Amino acid sequence: MTALHNLAAQADTPPRETRLSALLDGELDDAAARAMLREVVANAAQREQFSEYCRIGDALRGLGHDSARLRGRVMAALEEEPTLLAPMPKAVTRQPVLWLAAATVAAITWGLWSMAPRQEDHARMAANEQAHLAQAAHDDRMVPYLAAHQDFAQAVVAPSEMRFTRVTLAEADR
Amino acid sequence: MSAAPGASLRSLPCHGLERRRRSLVSAAWLLCLASLGAQAAEPLPPAEAAAWLQRMADASRRLAYEGVFVFQHGDSAMQSLRVANRPVATGKDSRLTAMDGLQREVRCTQSGSLSLLTEGGEVRAERRLNSRHFPDLLPANAAALANWYSVRLGEASRVAGLDCQEVQLEPRDAYRWGYLLCAEKNTALPLKAAMVNEAGHTLMQYRFAEIRLGAPPKNVAAPLPEMPAAARPVATESVGVRSLPPGYTRITAVKRKLPNRGDEVEHWVFSDGLTHISLFIEPARQPVESVRGQSKLGMINMLTRQVGPMRTTVLGDAPWPAVEAIAMNLEARPAGAPR
Repeated sequence: MTALHNLAAQADTPPRETRLSALLDGELDDAAARAMLREVVANAAQREQFSEYCRIGDALRGLGHDSARLRGRVMAALEEEPTLLAPMPKAVTRQPVLWLAAATVAAITWGLWSMAPRQEDHARMAANEQAHLAQAAHDDRMVPYLAAHQDFAQAVVAPSEMRFTRVTLAEADR
Repeated sequence: MSAAPGASLRSLPCHGLERRRRSLVSAAWLLCLASLGAQAAEPLPPAEAAAWLQRMADASRRLAYEGVFVFQHGDSAMQSLRVANRPVATGKDSRLTAMDGLQREVRCTQSGSLSLLTEGGEVRAERRLNSRHFPDLLPANAAALANWYSVRLGEASRVAGLDCQEVQLEPRDAYRWGYLLCAEKNTALPLKAAMVNEAGHTLMQYRFAEIRLGAPPKNVAAPLPEMPAAARPVATESVGVRSLPPGYTRITAVKRKLPNRGDEVEHWVFSDGLTHISLFIEPARQPVESVRGQSKLGMINMLTRQVGPMRTTVLGDAPWPAVEAIAMNLEARPAGAPR
C-alpha cells in the first residue's frame, strides 16, 4: 500500500527539471519555490542545472557572451528531438523562456519574436516637437494617474515635478 | 534617463552593435553601482543569486521588526517614516506612518491594504490595490529575478547600528533600473535600498535610521474599516498588447475610479517583480494628443496616446525603453474580442 502511495505521489509530482524551470520562471507558489530553492542550493548537480537553464534563457534572449554558440547547441538538440504525433496532455498553461526548449524550432523562433519587444518599436516615434507643454494643465490632468499608480510604485510619494512634451508618432501608430 | 523628453529616438541597431552596446551597458552599470560604495565582484552563480534574493524577500515579510527609515526621491528633501511589521500565517501585517508633513499612513493586513490621510481633523481612507513598501520591495517569488538581474555581493557595511552585506542587482537589459541593497548579516532583511539609473544617478533611496528586530510590535494593525472594493476585474478588453519587454507580465487588470475623478478607467499593471508599469485605458472623448512625460532625473516615465477609440496612458517608475515598448505595442481590439 505504501509503495502504491509512493507511486501515486511520484506521478503527481512534476519532474525535477519541470519544477526547476518553473522556479526560474516564477511559476511556483511561495512554499514550493522556497522548498525548491533549498533543494537547489544544497545540491551541486541541481545548482549546475539551474545555471545551465539560466544560460539557455540568456542565449535564447540574445544575452550573454557565448549566446550564439549556446543557441546553436539548443537548436541542434531540438532538431534531434523526435516529433511526437500523439496528443500530449497539457499539464500547465505556460509561456516562459525555458519551456520553449520543449517546443519545435519554429515555435522557438516565433516565441522569441513575440516575447521580446521589437527593436523597431523604438524607432516608431518618427518625429518630436520639443515645445514643452503648459505645465500646470498637464500636471493637473496627470495627478489622478500618478496617484492611482502609487499603489504599485516604489516611491512613497509621487514626484512633484513632471515635464511634458508633445510627440508625433509614426502614421501607423496614431 | 537624463535625456530630454522626446529626444531619445534611436536608430535601428544592428546585431553586433547591439551586443556591444549591451556589454558597454553592463560595464556602465558596474561603474554606477560601484560609485555608490559597493565594490564590484563577480556575479553570483544563478542558484546562489536566487537564494540571496529569496532570503531578502522572505525576511521583509516573515520577520517582526519596527523602525524608522528615511526616504529620498532624487535630490528632493528626505522624509522619515516609521514602519512596523508582524509576521502572520499568510500575507503580512504592517503599518507605515509618515513622520513629516501630512499625516499619512499605509496599513497592510491579510484582508487588504489601505491608505489613510488625515487633513484638517478629517481622515480619508482609500483602498490600495497592492501592499508593497520598503523594506518589502522584492516579490514573494524572488528567485525568478535572477533571469533579469545579475547579482553581485558588495562590501560589508553597517546601517542603523547593524552589520549588513551589500547586494547589487545589475539589470541585464535596458528595461529595468539597478538596485543596491544592504541585507542584515543574520536575517537578510534589507536595511538599505537604492535605485540607480544607467547614468549612476540615485533615483530613490531608503535607509533605516533605527530598527528593532525580533520583538513583535504592538498594535501594528487594528482591523481595517469596512470599505467597498477599490476595483473590479475587467470583463472585456478593447485594447491588447502585442508584446511586452522580457520578463514583464500583466499582474492586474481592473476597472477603478481614479482619485478625484468620478468616471471609471481600466487600470492594468505590468511587472517583472520589481518594476511596475501602469496602463490606464478610457474612451477618448476627443482626439488625443500624444504626450511624453518625465519626472526629474527620469524616474517616472509616461506616454499618452490614442489607440483606436481609446485614450491610453502608460506610466511607471521604470526606464523609458520599458514604458515606450509597452505603449508602442498597444493595439485596438474589436469589440468582444477574446482576452
